Amino acid sequence: MNDLARQQSDFQRAILTGDDSILAEIPDSPREKRETLFGVYKYAYGSRLVEAMGNDHKLLHIYLGDEMFNEMGHAYVAANPSLHPNLRWFSSSLPLFLKSTEPYCRYPVLSDLAALEKALNDAFDAEDAPVAAVADIAGFAPEAWAGLTFHPHPSAVRLDILTNASAVWLALKADEDPPDPVRAEESNRILVWRKDVTPVFRELGAEEAMMWDEAARGIPFGVLCSMLATYHDPDGAAARGAGYLHGWVTAGLLAGVSGGD
Amino acid sequence: MNVASQMAVSPATTRAGHPVSSAKPPFLGFGLGLRAQHYDEILNGNPAIDWFEVISENYMIPGGQPLRILDQIRARYPVVMHGVSLSIASTAPPNFEYLAALRDLARRVEPKWISDHLCWTGVHGKNLHDLLPIPYTSEALDHVVNRVQLVQDYLGRAIVLENVSTYVQFSNSEMTEWEFLSELSRRSGCWLLFDVNNVYVSAFNHGYDPRTFLEGIPADRVLQFHMAGHSHMGTHIVDTHDHPVCEDVWELYAAALKRFGWVSTIIERDDHIPPLDEIMVEVERTREMANKILAPLVKQAG
Repeated sequence: MNDLARQQSDFQRAILTGDDSILAEIPDSPREKRETLFGVYKYAYGSRLVEAMGNDHKLLHIYLGDEMFNEMGHAYVAANPSLHPNLRWFSSSLPLFLKSTEPYCRYPVLSDLAALEKALNDAFDAEDAPVAAVADIAGFAPEAWAGLTFHPHPSAVRLDILTNASAVWLALKADEDPPDPVRAEESNRILVWRKDVTPVFRELGAEEAMMWDEAARGIPFGVLCSMLATYHDPDGAAARGAGYLHGWVTAGLLAGVSGGD
Repeated sequence: MNVASQMAVSPATTRAGHPVSSAKPPFLGFGLGLRAQHYDEILNGNPAIDWFEVISENYMIPGGQPLRILDQIRARYPVVMHGVSLSIASTAPPNFEYLAALRDLARRVEPKWISDHLCWTGVHGKNLHDLLPIPYTSEALDHVVNRVQLVQDYLGRAIVLENVSTYVQFSNSEMTEWEFLSELSRRSGCWLLFDVNNVYVSAFNHGYDPRTFLEGIPADRVLQFHMAGHSHMGTHIVDTHDHPVCEDVWELYAAALKRFGWVSTIIERDDHIPPLDEIMVEVERTREMANKILAPLVKQAG
């Protein structure tokens, strides 16, 4: 290892671990000790990353309060050094961290709230794509409908959360007191996407969530309707399927529709 | 309004005594670092800003509103891309994934130039998201010259590198920062972004005269000025870019104008972003000072 590489390695280690051997190669300034001057880099490292996390997770920050968010943020920084040159992606693992790390894992609403904010952030700058219009689907002959497959907009993401984090999110966003955290009886099925330029989400019923998940896997409309028929009212399955589909198209959730072979 | 396109006299011809490379990008006038807080005011108004500098990484994303806004801005104003993660002085292997994303963005934006900082941001696969200092040694110079040439070959253009604010120096440095920058520019062909505030901050922190730094930089290699604020801690200054430009830095700007002439300039604010009209006062001051200081020199030269 050459001298520059060794110095950079030592410098980084001092910031990340506190091993200050690099200080032997740094003189005091005319006005200040080297420890204080090097401390500017040490302080900036953690504070900059926690600030970035706060920008990505504004509502989690409000929910936890400054002190607790700061403490949690520094714990995340210590456990997850940034591996990407773009700060945009630094807090990507925060939901997983909150789900798997004491004491935060004792409060599952935290990881759910972080997951919802992450999904909204990801939708905000997700890949652009054309949005399918009602006319795109109406153009298919009735006999072709069974073979239609649907392409979700690149911003669309499904989340299953086990708490009332979406209600907490809505309250915090409206600058209201959030409800007490509650663990749900069954998964709360959330669909997040970008409508024009604005990230949005809504909750799905079990049937619509199943249809969306299967449609996103490329299952054709005819098969989707057969699956809907297993939920309830088999005779109304096709109409319900068409209704869900119409809702997706008008919401800008689909990037395209393909006809069957 | 775009002063650059309205100037009757090419800035290249106003710099009597300072040879200008034929490949040197044009003088853009007096601009501002683009920040999301100002998007609406810029696009719905017609602020007297000649050009914008955008943070490259803010737009190295898959899609969405930021890129749409950037498309609108670049349709109306000259744009320069300014990165924070090139890590040109790092001894880690070059990050070609980053370079590819930077090149893709440049193809979309068609910036007047691409700049970053003379610094490193991490090694061993980690990124500290800070502009970290280097020792000014011949070994470091050789390394950075090679990296700059690699990046310039990859991007197909000369890049622009900025002096960073530093809080520490290394005992093994063999030359001054300005000697390092001068030699780097001469050997690699890169241009220099002279951050007036950073010179002031580093000079205070290390106890030298900022004008010595200024005098040590070759005038014909400086393509851009940054003007910014900082936080004074008494024994040292931290480059926070979250305050208005202080009077000492305005004074140094005046000296920089006298030495470097017409140089594309922006006000750079990274935190505590004020309303646009407030920051426009500083943009106007950069313009007024340049006109006041340089116009008489143009007349003398004529």
